[in-house]
Amino acid sequence: MCRGASGAEVPTEYQVKAVFVFNFSRFLEWSPQAFTAPNAPFVIGILGDDPFGARMEEAVRGEQIDQHPMVVRRFRNMGEIDNCQILYIDRSERAQLQQILLAMDHRSTLTVSELDQSSERGVMVQFTTENNRIRLRINVESARAAGLTISSKLLRSAEIVSTRTGN
Amino acid sequence: MPISTTPIRRTLMRMIFLSSGAVLAVTTTGFCAYEFLTFRQSSVQQLQILSQAIASNSTAALAFDNADDATVILAAFKADPHIAAAALYDSQGKVFATYPRGQPETHFPVRPGASGYTFGPTELVGFQPVAEGSRRLGTLFVESDLGAMYARVRLYALIVLLVIGISLPLAYLISRRLQHRLLQPILALAETTRAVSERHDYTVRAVRTGAYEFDLFTDTFNQMLTQIQQSEGKLHAQLERLSLLQHITRATGERQDLPSIFQVVLDSLEQNLPVDFGCFLLHDAAAQSLTVSVLGVAGRGFAEAVALTEQVNVPLDANGLSRCVAGHLVYEPDVLLVPFPFPQRLAAAGLRSMVIAPLIVENQVFGVLVCGRRKDQAFSSGECEFLKQLSEHVALAGHQAQLNGALQQAYDDLRQSQHTVLQQERLRALGQMASGIAHDINNAISPVSLYTESLLEREPNLSDRARGYLTTIQRAIEDVARTVARMREFYREREAQLTLERVDLNRAVRQVVELTKPRWSDLPQQRGVMVDLTTELTDGVPDIMGAEHEIRDALTNLIFNAVDAMPSGGMLTVHTRKSVEVDGEDRVLIDVSDTGVGMDEDTRRRCLEPFFTTKGERGTGLGLAMVYGMIQRHSAELEIASATGKGTTVRLSFPAYTASAVSTTQPSKLSAVCRRLRILLVDDDPMLIKSLQDTLQEDGHQITATHGGQAGIDAFATAQKRGDGFDIVVTDLGMPHVDGRKVASMIKMLSSTTPVILLTGWGQRLMAANDIVPHVDKLLSKPPRLHELRAALLELAS
Repeated sequence: MCRGASGAEVPTEYQVKAVFVFNFSRFLEWSPQAFTAPNAPFVIGILGDDPFGARMEEAVRGEQIDQHPMVVRRFRNMGEIDNCQILYIDRSERAQLQQILLAMDHRSTLTVSELDQSSERGVMVQFTTENNRIRLRINVESARAAGLTISSKLLRSAEIVSTRTGN
Repeated sequence: MPISTTPIRRTLMRMIFLSSGAVLAVTTTGFCAYEFLTFRQSSVQQLQILSQAIASNSTAALAFDNADDATVILAAFKADPHIAAAALYDSQGKVFATYPRGQPETHFPVRPGASGYTFGPTELVGFQPVAEGSRRLGTLFVESDLGAMYARVRLYALIVLLVIGISLPLAYLISRRLQHRLLQPILALAETTRAVSERHDYTVRAVRTGAYEFDLFTDTFNQMLTQIQQSEGKLHAQLERLSLLQHITRATGERQDLPSIFQVVLDSLEQNLPVDFGCFLLHDAAAQSLTVSVLGVAGRGFAEAVALTEQVNVPLDANGLSRCVAGHLVYEPDVLLVPFPFPQRLAAAGLRSMVIAPLIVENQVFGVLVCGRRKDQAFSSGECEFLKQLSEHVALAGHQAQLNGALQQAYDDLRQSQHTVLQQERLRALGQMASGIAHDINNAISPVSLYTESLLEREPNLSDRARGYLTTIQRAIEDVARTVARMREFYREREAQLTLERVDLNRAVRQVVELTKPRWSDLPQQRGVMVDLTTELTDGVPDIMGAEHEIRDALTNLIFNAVDAMPSGGMLTVHTRKSVEVDGEDRVLIDVSDTGVGMDEDTRRRCLEPFFTTKGERGTGLGLAMVYGMIQRHSAELEIASATGKGTTVRLSFPAYTASAVSTTQPSKLSAVCRRLRILLVDDDPMLIKSLQDTLQEDGHQITATHGGQAGIDAFATAQKRGDGFDIVVTDLGMPHVDGRKVASMIKMLSSTTPVILLTGWGQRLMAANDIVPHVDKLLSKPPRLHELRAALLELAS
């Protein structure tokens, strides 16, 4: 998507992906149990290498969901993850994906990754690139299992994927 | 309908159409406006709802930059065919997705506008924010083409047309019915008005229709008609009275005398006003009473019932009459209620109401007009006014008649005096001529008279026959002299000095009958006609005092007239008798009667006028005039009884002689002869000089005769110078150059004591006029009588 005529700077891939991650907070509903306290922060966690840099902070700056101020955390490994509403699993975590998913099972955390076929393996939202555009693949079963309600509007603009074992 | 009702109908229809059309227009316009605004509002709302829905749906597409999804979501606008275009802008204001697919980007605004919806000329445009929660994701642009609204407007227009199309004919039908109800009374009124205006029939009335206020209108109209009818009636009556007034005025104008004017006025009033009774009374201011002058023919019965007939006096008392006489019109609506004699008198005659109008000329009421009717309250104010005006006209006409009468009288008097003057002029001319003739005749017969008298006196040896002849000559000369003297008497008003003597009328009659015998006997016999004259002379009738010759002439004239009146013969009677009048005075009557043609009244009335004659060229018209003059001079009376075809009797009535009557001097037979005198005789007539000279010389006088006045004066002067003057001068009056008066005055100048005797052919007239000429001692008329001359000489010489 090129709108050079506007003169504005064309957003980078990760800029867009940071906004997308933030946007998920708008189109999904977390149960109140997902938070330790009513004013507990809404945490966006980044597991593995950080492709966003400061872009994620820019995207969430000043934002809050209900009483929950939005914060960005970076996790180096699984053990660092305690309370997290959206977890971005970086490519770097390809090898540990299965463990991560197992660890995150039954936690009210939206998992997001750009690893190929990650949605079929159990990641709730997978970024893909199609015609130079970022597309979403969503595993509704996983989200549902995590007790997350996904807006139908989000579902409209995404590709619905089911979990496939053996891969 | 005969009258055109189109205008009112059309106007009414127009009114209804305009008003209902206006109501319709306002209603439909309001309705349409309301619908239009509501529709706009609802269009906006619908568009807003749709846009909100789409915007809400497109949040995810914007949030996750899924343009295809956004395009699919925008395609939902297909559900509304009027959505012409739509576009999604991202949060940066760039076009993200468009509808319909393939619409070029240039169709859309470069940047989204402020949120809200605005109507453009052909479209409704809106910008709807797209937000998820509080986060603004972009803007939705929508454009609707308003086709729905125009479709709606078309539908409304159709409905409006339908409504108008139905309601106007409906309004027409309803108004037709209403109009009929409304117009019916108006048209009925219009019909009535037309009837009134075209036929002038004010008796028609508009019929009440029982509709709305029209009855009030109709009643008012009818009331107006009634008033007009009354006014017209009054006007008509006024016109009739005016016409009557004119008729009467014209009728009175044709009459000249008051009773006739009154009669024609009353006749007109009784027939045309009409009144039951009418009369005119004339006012006698001095006697304070009124006299009935003329009564109307029809009302005569009323008047006679109460003895109110012509010439009856009606006293003026304090009643209506006196008020009327004071110049006021008096109307008594009911005479029964008026307690005065005159109204009560009319009431007794059966009249109830009366009007008395004064006849005023020059502020004087000279009479009144009384009108009466059987009914009370019978005179309207208009009639009273009419009678007042009429009385003014009648008064004027009466006045005119009186003036006319006076004028006629003046004219008659003038004509009479003119006639008299003319006659006197003729008589004067005749008299002058007669004087001239008399002078000449007197001169001519003077010698005859003088010589005859002288012969009878101085020739005792004359035979009886000669003496008789001479006596007859003398009497004839006397008659000639008197006749000549009387020729002038016609124009004399009164004989101032008439020599009266005792006259035996029987003898005079006999003389006249004898003298006129040729006329009543011989001439008729020559024509084969017989006039039988008889005299019935009563013996012992008294003498009368008079001039016998005048009486003889009068009788002669009467006999001539009687004979002329009997061209076919007849009886002529002369009758004398004595009559004793009631006052004890004795009178002697002479009747001269004939059985001739007689005279009609006009002739009898005029027969005494001088120059009036029925004999044509043969008559002088002086005969009876002379007789009448004689009668007057004798204080006698003349009566003429005559009828056409019955003959005529003329009666002369003289007072009988009584001892007291003065006797005039009897002529002395032979006067004492006076002494011998020297007499100067002056005359211009040689015959007279000769005869006077002869007779006076026989008396022993010494006569010097001169021819003409100047010669006489010269002779007298010469003799006086000689000392041998004349004792007496006898001179003629009428002489050329120097007349008797001049001679007399000259003689008196030369010798004032010498008597002068003036002889004149006009002597009788001078004597009669007591005209004593200055310087003349004695005046003797020609022909001179010897005994008179002797008496004068004796008187003057002594």
